[in-house]
Amino acid sequence: MGLERETALRHRLAARDEQALVELVNLATPWLLGVAYGMLQDRDEAEDVVMETFLTVWENIAPPSGGHPGLMPYLLRVARHRAIDRLRGRRRRERKLSAAAPSEWSRQAVAPVVPDEAGHPGWQVHTQVHAALVELPAEQRAAVQLAYFQGLTHSEIAAQLGIPLGTVKTRLRLAFTRLRITLAGLKEWVL
Amino acid sequence: MRSHEWFVEHRVDYATGVLDADDALTFEAHLPHCEECRREVARIEAELAWLPMGSDPVAPRPGFRRRIIQRVLEGNRSRGQRWLLPAALAASLLLAAGGWYAGDQRARAVEAAFAGEHVRLAALEDTLSIMRGAGRVLQASVQVGKQRGGLVIFADEVTHRWNVVVHGLPPAPAGGRYQFWFICADEMVRGAEVRVDPARPMMFTTGMPERGGTVMGAALTVEPVGATDGPPQGKPLAHLML
Repeated sequence: MGLERETALRHRLAARDEQALVELVNLATPWLLGVAYGMLQDRDEAEDVVMETFLTVWENIAPPSGGHPGLMPYLLRVARHRAIDRLRGRRRRERKLSAAAPSEWSRQAVAPVVPDEAGHPGWQVHTQVHAALVELPAEQRAAVQLAYFQGLTHSEIAAQLGIPLGTVKTRLRLAFTRLRITLAGLKEWVL
Repeated sequence: MRSHEWFVEHRVDYATGVLDADDALTFEAHLPHCEECRREVARIEAELAWLPMGSDPVAPRPGFRRRIIQRVLEGNRSRGQRWLLPAALAASLLLAAGGWYAGDQRARAVEAAFAGEHVRLAALEDTLSIMRGAGRVLQASVQVGKQRGGLVIFADEVTHRWNVVVHGLPPAPAGGRYQFWFICADEMVRGAEVRVDPARPMMFTTGMPERGGTVMGAALTVEPVGATDGPPQGKPLAHLML
């Protein structure tokens, strides 16, 4: 969203404006579900994560200030951390690891943008992040997909790909260094 | 004991949540003692703040957004008024049932005495059918001065009509009037003016508004008598989220 709109929305949320909550839920829910579902691969659990995210944000939202991250990045971060917590708590991890075929995650990492959805709020940011991911070398992109979007740890990725732990770390560091440069310019969610 | 070089090397891994559990705990224990690492981790998080948007969006299942709003607002209310809700619900339903019973009795009398009033009777039966067939019943207590009343909505989710009962309210304060609102996704849409009769519950039936987007709930306010357009200006008395 534009910076002015985000600032106004944040002020209203801090003032417990319920209509502002409705707006935020409408805007953010598909993206938060996308983050949670990408990691958990379970629709019900993903919805639980999104629910917890909004509860957390509604409880803790403060008026905008220099020290706060943007509203949408804040939501995304809370959702992602919640999803990671759930993922790490699962005992069924081994089954999940064996179920994810490399060809599948590789394809998902760069799923093409559907033109019809170009009008969706946030879609512009989505396409820019996609473009940054596509620019990565394939092996780095695959490591980022497993680590960041599916929530696997270094050791799990090494086991999954059958490569040394050090190689996983190197690929991720190179990838994140490049992504930091590319994405640092994204400041707001342009509608 | 890790060297500081190890922490420098793993800042990105920590910030992106990909460290193994033991390493993550080690890093967390280090952070409170190292301002440089805290600052750098915050910087990395800020630079990669939009990376989660690389996930494809997932369309919410029908009703999920509504459940989020309801749950968040319920959590908000329950801290302060947990004990009030069951009591208010019981009181509201008793009063509404009383109003329903009285209305039904009256309709029977009208039918017997005035056979020509079939249209009016049909309207009343239609109203009652919404109450009988209501998929959801929502209620809120309303406090006006020292008087406590209630707002009850019987929502027929098949025909998308509501039967609204307002009870226990004193006459509107001087210069004001009770106003019913739809809380829609895009805006607050003005519904019916509520003319209360202190002697009995006030009841009306309404369809959904044609503008404003998805209906998320309803509200009751006291509006200045002259205010007939635009968003609510007056004092909010109650709201209900679907």
